[in-house]
Amino acid sequence: MRRGSVAQLVAIGIVCGGGAALVAILIPWLPDPASRQAGRIDFVFWFVTVICIAIFALVAAVIIYSVLKFRAQPGEDMDGPPIHGNTGLEIVWTAVPAALVTAISIVSAIVLAKNDHIPKASAAGDPLHPLVVEVTAQQFAWSFKYTGFGDLTSATLKLPLNKPVKLRITSLDVNHSFWVPEFGQKQDAVPGSWNNLVITPDKNGTYPVICTELCGLGHALMRSRAEVMPAQKFLSWAKGQQKKLGGPAGSSGKAVFTANGCDSCHTFTPAGANKKIGPDLDNLRQEAQRAGQPLEQFIRTSIVDPNAYVEPGFTKGLMPTSFSSLPKAQLDALVSYLAGGAKK
Amino acid sequence: MTAVTHDEVHAGPAPPPTGWRRLLAPGWLRVPWMTALFFGIGAGITVLVRWLEGWDPIWKGSVITTVELTAVPFGFLAGIGGFDYWMRYAAGSPTRPEDHSGHGARSWRDYFRINTDHKVIGIQYLVTTIFFFVAAGLLAMLMRAELARPGMQFVDNQTFNGLFSVHAALMIFLFVIPAFAGIGNYVIPLMIGAPDMAFPRLNALSFWLLPIAGFMMLGSFLAPGGAFASGWTGYAPLASTHQPIGSVFFNMGVQWAGASSIMTALNFLVTIITMRAPGMSFWRMPLLVWANFTTSLLVVIATPFIAGSQFFVMFDHVMHTHFFDYQAGGYPLGYQHIFWFYSHPAVYIMMLPGFGIASEVISVMSRKPIFGYRLMALSLLAILVLGFSVWAHHMFVAGMAPWLRVPMMVTSMVIAVPTGIKVFSWLATLWDGRIHFDTPMLFALGFVSMFVIGGLSGIYLAAVPIDIHTSDTYFVVAHIHYVLFGGSLFTIFAGIYFWFPKMTGRMYDERLGKLHFWLTFIGFNLTFFPMHWLGIQGMPRRVADYVPRFADLNMFISLASFGLGASTLVFVYNMVKSWRFGPAAAANPWRSLTLEWQVSSPPPIFNFDEIPQVVGNPYEYGVPDARHAVFNGDRQVELEEVPTR
Repeated sequence: MRRGSVAQLVAIGIVCGGGAALVAILIPWLPDPASRQAGRIDFVFWFVTVICIAIFALVAAVIIYSVLKFRAQPGEDMDGPPIHGNTGLEIVWTAVPAALVTAISIVSAIVLAKNDHIPKASAAGDPLHPLVVEVTAQQFAWSFKYTGFGDLTSATLKLPLNKPVKLRITSLDVNHSFWVPEFGQKQDAVPGSWNNLVITPDKNGTYPVICTELCGLGHALMRSRAEVMPAQKFLSWAKGQQKKLGGPAGSSGKAVFTANGCDSCHTFTPAGANKKIGPDLDNLRQEAQRAGQPLEQFIRTSIVDPNAYVEPGFTKGLMPTSFSSLPKAQLDALVSYLAGGAKK
Repeated sequence: MTAVTHDEVHAGPAPPPTGWRRLLAPGWLRVPWMTALFFGIGAGITVLVRWLEGWDPIWKGSVITTVELTAVPFGFLAGIGGFDYWMRYAAGSPTRPEDHSGHGARSWRDYFRINTDHKVIGIQYLVTTIFFFVAAGLLAMLMRAELARPGMQFVDNQTFNGLFSVHAALMIFLFVIPAFAGIGNYVIPLMIGAPDMAFPRLNALSFWLLPIAGFMMLGSFLAPGGAFASGWTGYAPLASTHQPIGSVFFNMGVQWAGASSIMTALNFLVTIITMRAPGMSFWRMPLLVWANFTTSLLVVIATPFIAGSQFFVMFDHVMHTHFFDYQAGGYPLGYQHIFWFYSHPAVYIMMLPGFGIASEVISVMSRKPIFGYRLMALSLLAILVLGFSVWAHHMFVAGMAPWLRVPMMVTSMVIAVPTGIKVFSWLATLWDGRIHFDTPMLFALGFVSMFVIGGLSGIYLAAVPIDIHTSDTYFVVAHIHYVLFGGSLFTIFAGIYFWFPKMTGRMYDERLGKLHFWLTFIGFNLTFFPMHWLGIQGMPRRVADYVPRFADLNMFISLASFGLGASTLVFVYNMVKSWRFGPAAAANPWRSLTLEWQVSSPPPIFNFDEIPQVVGNPYEYGVPDARHAVFNGDRQVELEEVPTR
C-alpha cells in the first residue's frame, strides 16, 4: 500500500467516524435520566457507542475506498492479485474485537451489579430504607401496594426522591413488563413469581409507566404514572391516603376509585376523570337500564364480573376481572360513590 | 427395485391415465377428494371418541379444528402424491421405477406437481417463499398504515396484534428460512458435483409442507376470533390461555414448517457428506456449502425444541394441560427457555446461508480469492457452537435466575468475534480487487454494511444494562430488521440475482436490478433507522397506539415503508419479465470457478453429463491457469494439483 492511499483511507474513516459521532451527539438519543440506575446505564451506552463508532468508521472507510478505487473498467476481465490470507492480520482482527467485547462485558457486569444492589433494611424499621412496593400487573392495569404503609394500594406509583426503592413485581394473568424509560429499569411481571427491581429516583417529576411485554388486546393502553416527590411529601401522601381509604363508606369511595385506577380508563365527573377507554360512568343509569338491572346491583356486578354485561361499542375482556378481590368495605364504598355520582 | 437405465429416464413418464382413473393418479384431481376423505376420518374419529367417552358437546369446534389442522394437510399431501412411492413399497406393490422421470420441468404446470428434481424444487421453493414474502410485506404495510397516526384508524386491537404476529411468522418460517433452503436446494448439488440431492422424494415432500404451513398461518385470519395475536414468539401463558382458536393455526403451522426445515436439513447433510464429486474434500468446498452444512446442523439440533414448545402451548390451550399454568404448578418461564433454545440458533439459521452467498458473490465479483478461507469456514463452526449458549440473552428482563445474565452476556459478546472475522475477511477480499458492481454485488455490499450496523446494535443489546432499558422496544424492532432485512433479505436478493441466469437460462434486467437495489437500500434505512431512537426514547414494540409526541416520526417511517414496499414491485416485475423474455444467459456470465457455472444454463437434467474431478480450491481468481474442477474431456490437467499459495 502506498502512503497516499493510506492517507486517503484514513481521511474517509475520519469523515465517516465524524459523521457518526455527530449523529450520536446532535440527536438527543437518551431520555433525561431520572434515577441513579439510568445514569449508570447511560454511561455503558456511551462507552459502547464510542467503540461502535470506531468499528463503523473502519468498515465504512474500507468499503467506500474499495468502491471508489478498485472499480473494474467496463469490459475489463483482469483478476485481482491472488492473496489468500494474512495470518498476522487475521490474528489482529480476532484479538482486538475479543478485547473490546471483554471490556464491554466487564463494564456491563459492574454496572449491573451496582444497579441490582439493594441496601439492607435498616434496623430501626424505617419504611423508606428501602421502600418496598409490590407491583401487580394484570390485563390491562397496574396496581402498587406499599407494604410498609399498612398495605396501602395506589394505581399510580408515588416515589420519594433519592431513596432506594425495591419493587417486587408479579402478575395475575399473563406476562407483562414494568418500564419507566426515564428510570432505565425494566422487569417482566410473571404470574406466579416475584421479580425484583431496584430504582433510586433522583429527579422530581411525573414519568410514564409502560407495559412492554405483549399482554393482549389492551397492551398499548396499559399505562400508568410514576410520580417522584420529596420524601416528606411522599410520607404525608401515604399517611393521608391510609386515613382516607380506611374512613367511613361515604367519604372513602372517591379514594377507592382513584386508588384502583378507575380514572385511567373511565369518565366520571365527580372524580374529575375524563378517559374514554371504558364506558362513561356519568351515564351509569342508562347503561343499567340497557342491561335491565337495578342501578346498584348493576354497578356491583360490572366491577366484580365485568364481562357479564358489556356496553355496546366496547370490547369484551378489556376490563380487568381482578376487582372481584376488593375488600368488601371498599367495594361497598365504591358502589355507593358511583351510584351517588351518576347523573339522573 | 429395477435398475434404471439412462434411456428409460429420458423416455419420460408412463402415459397419463384416462377417464375416471385420472382421479386416482397423483395430482390436483386427487387432492380434493383425498382432502375431504382425511377431513372425514379426522372428524369421525374425534366424534366417535367423544361419543364413547360421553363428552358434551360431541362436535366441539376447537377440538375438531385442532385435529383437522393435522388431518387435512395429510390428505392434501396424499392427494398430490407425496407418499405414493413409499405407500406402494410398504404395501408390496411394484414401485414405479419411473421416479426420475419427474426430473426437469417441461412446462409451468410441472412446477405445480410433485417433482423430485432438486432444480425444480429449488425454484418451487423460491417462488413460493417470494409469494409469502409479498403477503407478509402487505401485512406490514397495513400495520404501518395504522401506526402512521396515534389512536386507532383502520383496524382494531385484536387485528393489529394479529397483523404483526402473522407478518413475523410468515417472514421467518415461510420466507427467510425456506428461501435459503430454496437457493441451497438449487445450488448445493451443482456446487459439489452431485446429480441431485441424496433423498429426492423426501426433498419433494419437504417442499409441499411449506404451502400448507403458509396458508395455515394466513388462514388464521379467517378463524373465529381472528388470527393468532401473541406475537411470533407466542409467549405463554398469553398464547396458551388468552387466545382465540387462531393460535392453534400458529402452533400447527410451525410444526409443518419445522418438519419441512428438518427434512431439508437432513437432506443437505447427507448430500454434502456423501455425494461430493471425486476430489471435493471439505477444504475445497465453496463457502456456501460450508454455510448450508453448519445451518443444517443447527436446524436438525434446534428445531425440535420449537416443535415441542408449540405442542405444549397447544396442549395447554386445547387439552387444558398445565405446562405453563402457574396456578396448577406450571412454569411460565419454561416456555421462553425452550422457545429461545430454538429461536436464537434460528437467528443463525437465517443468517449463515446469507454469509455463504455473500462469500460467493464478493469473491467472484472482486476477482480475488476469498480472504482467509479456512478461518471463514471455522468461524461458521464457531457460530454454530456458540449459538447454542446464548439463548437467554432474550430473557435478561424476563425474571429468570439473575446469575444467568452475566454468563449469557459474555457468550453473546464472544459471538461478535467470529462474526467480525467474517466481516473483516470480506473487506480484505474487496481490497485491491477488480470489482464489478453488478446487482448481486450491490446487494452483497449492502448486506455487509447494513449487517455491520445490525451487529453493532446487537452489541448494545448484549450488554445487560442497556438491554434492560431497550428490551421489548422499537430499538429491538430496528435491530432485528437490520440483521434480518439488511442481513438475510439482502443476501437472498444477491443470491437470486446471482443464480438467476443459471436457474432460468436467461439474464435479468441489470438496470431494473440496480434500481431495485437503490430503492430498497434507501427505503430500508429511512424506515428502520429512526426506530432506534423511538425505542430508546420510550416506544414499546407491538403497540397499535402510542403517545402523540412520536406521531411525526411514525408518519415519516410509514411513508418510507410504503416506498420500501413499492420497491418490491420492481423486483417482481424484473423477475417475471426476464424469466419470460430476458436474453439467453451464457453458461458462466460471472466467470466463476465453482462447479455450477461449468455446466450449461440451465444445467442438464442430471446436472453433469460427465462426472467432474475436483482438483483445486474454489476461489483461485488471479492464479494463472487455476482450475477448481476438470471434466473427462480435459484429462491432461486432471491429476496435477494446482498450486494454491
